[in-house]
Amino acid sequence: MQRLYGAWDEMIRKKLSDKNSLLSLGDRFRIYILFGVIFLFMSLFAPRFFNTYNLTTILRTVSMNVTIALGFTIVMICGEMDLSIGRTATFAAVIALTLQKHLGYGLSIPIAVLAGALVGLFNGVLVAKVKINSFIVTIGTMTILQGATYTITGGNSVSLSGDTVFAISDFLAKPILPMLPPRVILTILFVIMFHLFVSNSQWGRNFYMVGGNRTTAWLAGINTDRVTITAFVLSSTMAAVGGILFAMESSAATLNMGDNSLMYVVSATIIGGTAMSGGKGGILKSVIAVLSLEMLYTGTILFGFGNEVKIFISGLILALVVLYEAYASYKHEKTIGQRAELLDELAQMAARPKV
Amino acid sequence: MNVAQKVDTRALRTNRFSKVLSTVGIYAIAALFLLLGILLQSMGLINNFMTSQNLLNIVDAVSLLGIVAVGMAFITYSGHYADLSAPTTIALTGIVSVELLRYGFISAMVGAFVVGLLIGVINGVVIGKFKANPIIWTLAMSYVTMGIIRFIWVNKQIYPDIITDDVRAVMLFDNIYRFRLFNVLSLPLIFMLLLVVAGQFILKRTPFGAQLKITGSAKRTAKFSGINVELMVTLAFVISAFTTTVAGLAITSLSRVGAYYNGAGYDFRAVTAIVIGGMTLAGGRGSIIGVLGGTLVIGLMNNIMTLLGVGTFSQDIIRGAIFIMVVGINAKTLRSMGRDDT
Repeated sequence: MQRLYGAWDEMIRKKLSDKNSLLSLGDRFRIYILFGVIFLFMSLFAPRFFNTYNLTTILRTVSMNVTIALGFTIVMICGEMDLSIGRTATFAAVIALTLQKHLGYGLSIPIAVLAGALVGLFNGVLVAKVKINSFIVTIGTMTILQGATYTITGGNSVSLSGDTVFAISDFLAKPILPMLPPRVILTILFVIMFHLFVSNSQWGRNFYMVGGNRTTAWLAGINTDRVTITAFVLSSTMAAVGGILFAMESSAATLNMGDNSLMYVVSATIIGGTAMSGGKGGILKSVIAVLSLEMLYTGTILFGFGNEVKIFISGLILALVVLYEAYASYKHEKTIGQRAELLDELAQMAARPKV
Repeated sequence: MNVAQKVDTRALRTNRFSKVLSTVGIYAIAALFLLLGILLQSMGLINNFMTSQNLLNIVDAVSLLGIVAVGMAFITYSGHYADLSAPTTIALTGIVSVELLRYGFISAMVGAFVVGLLIGVINGVVIGKFKANPIIWTLAMSYVTMGIIRFIWVNKQIYPDIITDDVRAVMLFDNIYRFRLFNVLSLPLIFMLLLVVAGQFILKRTPFGAQLKITGSAKRTAKFSGINVELMVTLAFVISAFTTTVAGLAITSLSRVGAYYNGAGYDFRAVTAIVIGGMTLAGGRGSIIGVLGGTLVIGLMNNIMTLLGVGTFSQDIIRGAIFIMVVGINAKTLRSMGRDDT
């Protein structure tokens, strides 16, 4: 029995190490498979799922979290953590809308994006130069941003009124191409840009190198500090952009609008296959994972379940993925350095009759 | 040439310094805040700071946070950052205890501890044995427990006196927070002090504490020297779950309602207390006495800011800035001593 299990294990391992075997492909493309399965299942069984209106709504709802996930994935690839993304989104949105009353969107949006970038610079410098754990730094930033947001608004949500404002939000929300409102098109452009940047440029490769092994990256002549700071700046900037676009479309910014995004984006990025330890993952995978989660949520609501099932399912999926990854690396660690064929030979030798 | 002259004394010096830094240091900061309070009072900017009632209020206000932080410190000490499922554990144990109050006070307590410790064991096994990332796993766990709470109780808030007619049980439950020994010491405060003493003893005076220290500071070394690392980590998470359950009961007793939002924010606040108290996230360094100091500093800081009339929102900014500053100074000191904290 033990040997049978060993042989089975060995087969799996061989298949996984062979890049073209079905199993290995399944492991690498699991998020696309998950996406396909969820999409098919919901289209077939969920009532009122597969129609233009619903799909457009999903795309619109998801675009804020997709935008935030773009930058966050880069931070994760670098092997760091940014817990301040949700609050940065709220902070930037509040700044953009508050200043809009005095300066108009033309000036308020650049200022808000710049504020987001500064938050990222602050995080990045503290992580890279002062060498504080990124988890701790961003918890601190989170608290500071919360206070700053409430101080700016006095504890109320910001909402705008006026014809021009509503014209802009209508323009952002109404599809100009089938299923694609300008806001979604903008998000898709961001996705393409970030995907090309991360997977096809030298800078993109640097993120992977720093996340994979910081010392090796440094020895290879990469300015690791600068790469880390860039990652944090990109993360906060994209979080700000996501928050601002969301607020522009709804002409309002509530003070907890970004709070759900943190857990959402973190789960999606991990489910998408970006490792917490860094050096692994990709922009497209995170985007697909965010989409899959959103479809799942919409589906559960269409089935008539409430918010509680949504929370439960998202927790369960995250838990399962983490457990699977942890178990896989646990198995790997157990079998590392072991040579199954040697054990087999030993067993054969033992079974051979003594001369 | 005399060999004895070339003996490297750096290790000795750094040891003493880091000891001073990790235990007395935080109390020096607490004393500074106390002095600041006295100074502000003598300048007439705040009133009623140095009264026994106010000082008691300060420790009362942070006793619940202290209970959570003492347990979570074991996780930090073992090198696993924090338990982000603490808030939902507080909510779940509280709601379970209120629900079980209909079967009597004892069964409510037992039920809460069973649920709380179960979460701790699951966390511990998955993180200790399968080496899942602690932050992500406890995050997922908090989702799952929140889902369970929302699934069973939807968005209901349940009240002890509506659940059961047993007046005695309700009174006992209410008194978890409200009972005061000699009309001075509240029960959570006593719990906190007991837990601090017990925690400090376990961490510094028992084999378990020593093994946890090695586990936290050098996992591989611990493994190769025959320490059951998986068990150590699991126990750390169980200890954290235990104190979190105690806090959960006290918080639910305080608010007299079992609801999903009880305990929100206790994860990050506990981490703040632990890190300010001189326990480093890399693990294996710091003490429970230090964590108590960190908790007291937070209490003093909040009290002074409130007496000064600083708004709740601005307090957040100041708190976050001080948090980052303390951690930054800590990291820098350790690095200059050649003990890199990354």
